[in-house]
Amino acid sequence: MAGEEEVEVLVIGSGAGGAPLANTLVKGGHQVLMLEKGPLLRTQQQSPDGLSDYKRDELFATGAEKRLTVPGMANIGESFYSSHVEPDLNDEPHVYRNSDGKDYATIEGYTAQVVGGGTQLYGGVSLRFTPDDLRLQSFNAGRTDLRNDPNGEVEREARDWPVSYDELEPFYSEAERVVGLCGTRENQEKPASVDHYQPPLQPNPISRYIASGMDSLGMKRYRTPLAVITRDHEPSGRTVPTDHETIKTAFVNRYGDPLGLKSNTWVTLLAPIVGEDNFELRANCVVTHLEAEGGRATRAHYRDPAGNKRTVRFKHVIVACSAIESVRLLALSGVADAGFDRRIQASGMLGNYFVTHCFGGASAVLPERADKSKTLDSDWATDHCATADFVRANGLWAGGAIYNNTSDAALPISLARTWQAQDMDNIWKGYLGETDMVGQGFEDYLEDNFGRRVSVSFMANQVAQRDNRIELHPTVRDKWGRPVAYIVKDWHSHDQELMRILASQCGEILRRAGDGVRFDGEGSVGGQVSRIANHVLGGARFGTDPQDSVLDADCRAWEFENLYVTDGAFMPTSGGANPTLTIQANSLRVGLLLLGRL
Amino acid sequence: MVVATGSKPCFADVPVRRTSRFAGRGGVRWLLDQPQRPSSARQTLPAVVIEKDDQYVLNHCTRYLARDADEPRHDFGQYQPGDPRARIADAWRYPIVDSYFDGASVEASYRFNSVTFVYDGRVSPASDVALTGSFTELHDPVALRQVPFLGEPSGIWALAVRVPKGQVHTYKLRVDGDWRIDPINPQTVTLDNGREWSRFFTEACQIPLTLARRERELLGRIVSHLLPFRSDQNSKFIRQVYESMDRASRERQFPLAYRLDEEVGVVNYIDKVIARAERHNADDYKDCLAIIDGVLRARYPGRDPLTLPPEAFADLYGEMARDDVPGWDRARYGSPRYFLLLLRRHAMTGAFVHPRHGGNSGTAGWAYLESRFRDADGKTLFDWRQAMEAPLGRNTDYRG
Repeated sequence: MAGEEEVEVLVIGSGAGGAPLANTLVKGGHQVLMLEKGPLLRTQQQSPDGLSDYKRDELFATGAEKRLTVPGMANIGESFYSSHVEPDLNDEPHVYRNSDGKDYATIEGYTAQVVGGGTQLYGGVSLRFTPDDLRLQSFNAGRTDLRNDPNGEVEREARDWPVSYDELEPFYSEAERVVGLCGTRENQEKPASVDHYQPPLQPNPISRYIASGMDSLGMKRYRTPLAVITRDHEPSGRTVPTDHETIKTAFVNRYGDPLGLKSNTWVTLLAPIVGEDNFELRANCVVTHLEAEGGRATRAHYRDPAGNKRTVRFKHVIVACSAIESVRLLALSGVADAGFDRRIQASGMLGNYFVTHCFGGASAVLPERADKSKTLDSDWATDHCATADFVRANGLWAGGAIYNNTSDAALPISLARTWQAQDMDNIWKGYLGETDMVGQGFEDYLEDNFGRRVSVSFMANQVAQRDNRIELHPTVRDKWGRPVAYIVKDWHSHDQELMRILASQCGEILRRAGDGVRFDGEGSVGGQVSRIANHVLGGARFGTDPQDSVLDADCRAWEFENLYVTDGAFMPTSGGANPTLTIQANSLRVGLLLLGRL
Repeated sequence: MVVATGSKPCFADVPVRRTSRFAGRGGVRWLLDQPQRPSSARQTLPAVVIEKDDQYVLNHCTRYLARDADEPRHDFGQYQPGDPRARIADAWRYPIVDSYFDGASVEASYRFNSVTFVYDGRVSPASDVALTGSFTELHDPVALRQVPFLGEPSGIWALAVRVPKGQVHTYKLRVDGDWRIDPINPQTVTLDNGREWSRFFTEACQIPLTLARRERELLGRIVSHLLPFRSDQNSKFIRQVYESMDRASRERQFPLAYRLDEEVGVVNYIDKVIARAERHNADDYKDCLAIIDGVLRARYPGRDPLTLPPEAFADLYGEMARDDVPGWDRARYGSPRYFLLLLRRHAMTGAFVHPRHGGNSGTAGWAYLESRFRDADGKTLFDWRQAMEAPLGRNTDYRG
């Protein structure tokens, strides 16, 4: 095609997987074009009119009611509520098969569609994985004590990462430096060569109960590392308000930050390079499929902001649009091109071994009220349940991190709409259905809950199973006529056991939290298939055996010379912590590899 | 979709500006439906065109407008069959009503919104697009500009203007000489002369748009049962929030507050949410309020339901919660409980939402929590003002 645009490196996606690598390549002098499906929403400082498209407004996190109209869904006609940067479910649903065998559209399983991706809306918890998280095959070799694993699947399916903790460690440190985190290092089970944390802010008063509960159980604790700057941040050129305490607002999890203090990949890694001649970021551009010539991917087809079809040729392409959407993009490219399909499906494993996290916790009502509107997402964390001793003593295959949540239910509308709601699909239902909450009943509800609720969560590895997978849905199409992602997923019996044990650990923290603490219950996502969203990982795992993985150790698709996947899809196991920092560290690692290769 | 014909709007076809009690005297000839204006009414500045860059416009278009699919994916009952708006997501977002900042004073800017009009030339190609409306000179249409992408016209046209908060306006687009209503915005009004115009309203608008006076009053009685503000103590508190302030701080903090009552603006919030973001729920209110009115009249013969004691509404609430209301016209509306849950969501939201959405009047909902929950030293445990923009809050970094 004459006059067709050609770039050296095309990066698809601007979140935790795409931005660190793009930053590395641009600073290394390479020409990078980044295409991002979502808008470029700026901070006040960046915006020409001095206003941000992110607001401290509860209706931005969970907006007006809409109704599901996707044909064939069991939940057609149901209400849903999405944020301003989450996809419209009627235009682009994720569909999962529920335990009743029926298909449901879900808002779960999406990261935000915006420059910065999920790092715009996340709570910012930025934990490392443990060294053992990256070698669970070795860790579990020969074990016969694993709970609820009658067929030996846990040991058989565990995989070591082709990269060790020691190899990843320098990139963890660099990610912590360039992203901008606050927290404390002492008492972590994650060795660090250097401490780049900024000082944490004063914890919310409710967190002293958590500290007390952890202490009484002998759980060594540390201030949860959060992707929020508390001091001026040299690598990204950001500055903080004079009064550091004003950084704490409850508009944290599920809100973009109008001041850019939350360290999302746009403000930390992209905004600093956006003026470079060798970098261009095109927002509102969705890539529909890739083309290849033999073992080289060559061209991307995309829609511009008005929906017009465009193409761009490239020498190298990085796919990083979140695990589900990256797998979908590669599968859709295969649908359009049999040669592409043969190569990307060489091992037959694209989409398989989709993993999220074993996730759950406990909650309580405290005797004293605190002002929860001045908080970040979490104050205290412990690796007590991440140690090899704990894992072995409990017959588990892997451990997990535990931390308290401080920003949940902190604002009046969010308290109501998340009442008894385990996931985004059930938002509002709990509060609305409790019709006794009216008049004096409403006053009692406020008295008992406003500023008094506290919860403790765990985040742990889910057993990788081949049948847990991302496919293309046979009938449902997005607004561009493309098949949508179809998620088939269930929990392993060992997962259920692991979640029960870790939830009870969270419960213990609250039971020991102090006099007058009213324990409210503990639980996990183990009873639900729908809860796919907490973190989407795997589906294109990396490894050393081409028959057992989709990507090689460098995150390059085995049968392609120039196609890389750097979002969470590469993970063979999901790690015992929130995944963002690990995705960022790995993206920096692949970026450095590419610097030596381009 | 009704499209006005002719090369320009005829004189009998003038747009209507309805203005709130705090909107101004400018353009008096437009004020066909002016409510009583208190002496505190102040001057409205004329609408002015403002700059919104290409990125801003495209950011607010792609997700909603760009698509190939032409099925009515976004029809939840709010559209007539065949309405092309059902193809696009969140058509109600247009024109885009957003915060305004003059570059100097957040407080002074708080009285205004930016309003960005969009025309999608990919759907209906055009070579010249302009608009006129009740916020600008009728006979001097303002041109929309083509928004480029990579140096070429993207197909999107846009124009941003500054409009005071609290107002309702009508407008039309001129596309290659033909006057027509906005093909995206679902809000239209038919004037007394039968002509149809597109309509929008700015933030913190207190002018009734969907519900008639009687509907609002009946809804107010029901809502006050749902909220915690009806006890003697709380109701007194809500009055004190406002009355205890001197006039200057009242004007500074709540320049757009309408009235403070036991419903803290919830009825107004509902009137606005069913006019725009949740139009598909408007008929639910119309139908159910009529049914409730009938039920109460039959139950208390000879009495106006508005004058009934709170217990009458408490009984009704309980029956609706059980989905069993004697006398309910189920042929007209199937489930009273379904409506009650809708009302519960709107009441909770309207009481504590950012006041830009028309509820939480005078931030009374937030002030109630702020006042009610204090520590032993009397320090509040809901210090919402620290995070909020001026003039509502005291944050000096965040501009709203």
